[in-house]
Amino acid sequence: MENILEVKNLSKKYPEFELKDVSFELPKGMIMGFIGENGAGKTTTIKSILNIIGNYKGEVKVFGLDNKKNEREIKEDIGVVLDDMFFPEILLPKDINNIMKDVYKNWDSDLYFKYLMDFNLPKDKQIKTYSKGMRKKLEIATSLSHHPKLLILDEPTSGLDPIARNEVIDIFRDFIQNEECGVLLSSHITSDLEHIADYITFINDGEIILSKTKDELIEQYGIVKCTESEFNKIDKQDYIKYKKTKYECELLVENKNEFKKKYNINTIDKISLEDLMVLMVKGEK
Amino acid sequence: MLGLIKKDFLMLKGNFKTWLILLFVYIVMAFQETTNLSFLLPFMCVVTMLSTFSYDSYNKWDAYVCSLPDGRKNSVRAKYIATLLLIFVTLLITTILTVIIDYYRTNAVNLESIVESIFGAIFATTLLQSIMYPAIYKYGVEKARIAIFIAVFGFALIGGVLSKYIDFESIIQGLAFLENYIMMIIPVIIVVMLYISYKIAETVYKRKEY
Amino acid sequence: MEIIISNSSGVPIYEQIKEQIKAKIVSNELKSGELLPSIRTLAKDLRCSVITTKNAYEELVRDGYVITIPSKGFYVAEVNLDVAREEQLNKIENLLDTAVTLAKTNNIEKKTITEILDILYEEEK
Repeated sequence: MENILEVKNLSKKYPEFELKDVSFELPKGMIMGFIGENGAGKTTTIKSILNIIGNYKGEVKVFGLDNKKNEREIKEDIGVVLDDMFFPEILLPKDINNIMKDVYKNWDSDLYFKYLMDFNLPKDKQIKTYSKGMRKKLEIATSLSHHPKLLILDEPTSGLDPIARNEVIDIFRDFIQNEECGVLLSSHITSDLEHIADYITFINDGEIILSKTKDELIEQYGIVKCTESEFNKIDKQDYIKYKKTKYECELLVENKNEFKKKYNINTIDKISLEDLMVLMVKGEK
Repeated sequence: MLGLIKKDFLMLKGNFKTWLILLFVYIVMAFQETTNLSFLLPFMCVVTMLSTFSYDSYNKWDAYVCSLPDGRKNSVRAKYIATLLLIFVTLLITTILTVIIDYYRTNAVNLESIVESIFGAIFATTLLQSIMYPAIYKYGVEKARIAIFIAVFGFALIGGVLSKYIDFESIIQGLAFLENYIMMIIPVIIVVMLYISYKIAETVYKRKEY
Repeated sequence: MEIIISNSSGVPIYEQIKEQIKAKIVSNELKSGELLPSIRTLAKDLRCSVITTKNAYEELVRDGYVITIPSKGFYVAEVNLDVAREEQLNKIENLLDTAVTLAKTNNIEKKTITEILDILYEEEK
């Protein structure tokens, strides 16, 4: 399968934060959920892919092309929603159409105004007067109106209520019906991703700690719940992380079926992305 | 790039009424023949353009624009061109008005003084632009204002101290012969000044990390 | 076509899809030669990953219930219903076997088991 996005050994040093050797691949026709705590490096990674941040080490390929050498070409086909970055808010949504039709070759005014209608966004009011949810929807409409092939979305659902979030997720689902397209979607609202993502890439403290298909993750990983005496009998290599509470021990295991065969412990729960995140970040080894 | 220039113009739309009032004030003043105020409107343009920088930074437009095709490359250039276009248009309007009013009042047109005031206006506005824009890209609007204030103050101080040791007047007198060529020298100065300013602003912008 | 997915059943979603399509083929609700929804449409409608639907279809192809025609889609295969029924019966036998073993180890009479079976059957209706 061809990759629509490849990130290889991306590194970037800041005084107080470091992106360490970030690598992952997004195949065509797929949606990748990019998860991690706030400050884990999601936005820095996305900004590097888009070349908003320069001078990082490593290589980024979009549509098989280098993101620096073929910057213009690539960006014609990328749709972007960035966290908290957009047009100045004194502009009107119809101004955005006016501007963008001279920015993108493929800008589709009809499509843009159709999205505005669908989302109930007035085109004649300053963006300033919009609520947070409306703004996000406007950003999403803007990102989709030049028929992009790759969507890069940084927290596109933050600030939206559950109903609006579902609407937005459905749009991404429609978008991916074209198998030449791809979506990279960062979020800390993991339930959104559980519904939509094909791949999950998890970044923690500037490092990718896993990048897998969601099905593999949900079906193979598990949370073992056991007593402390049972816990003491378990090999350290058989679990990834553990967390002890007053009443029980929780273990994150990579393959719940193998674990079941080896140990006689039956309480193994299916894992949610949220459990995974919490145990990965807060659990001990 | 056209899109980005349009963006700056669309941002000024809200100021349109203020400008009409200014234009009215200008017309009244021109009839009174108190002083030549043809620099007034273009100067206001640059000042309002400066306000677009605050809106840009408030919504982190400078980072967003980098995600658009050729955004990083054209963002600074579009700002300079939009400003120059605006200066040109407003200057054209005030000049036409001045000519009409002059003719109405005196039945003659004082071409020499009009040309002089056009040059003056262009010089003043582009000077402001050339100094402010790179400073804003480097330090942001608020800090840039302070930085410019300190720089001007510092210059005055140094000049004041130096004037004790150097005879400025004789230098100025020595340069008096240039006055005949002033109409040629000023355009050159303006172009060079803008070019240097633009290059600095662009370098600053490209190095910046968002 | 109705497919009901449970997120909390513990059965992997691709397996739920596979089993339900299989059941529809065996019961002749889906007739041989019928075109199935594409991987992407099905994923969109069921709100799951395309990888999930792809897995389900691949297994259906492997088990001979579905055939794939490249660049056209997935079609219900010519299934020998007797064989399919046999397979299902086999599965039931295995499940009952587990139940019987469990009953024997716990000294539960056959009568009790058939009673349970009757009740379960009634409930299903």
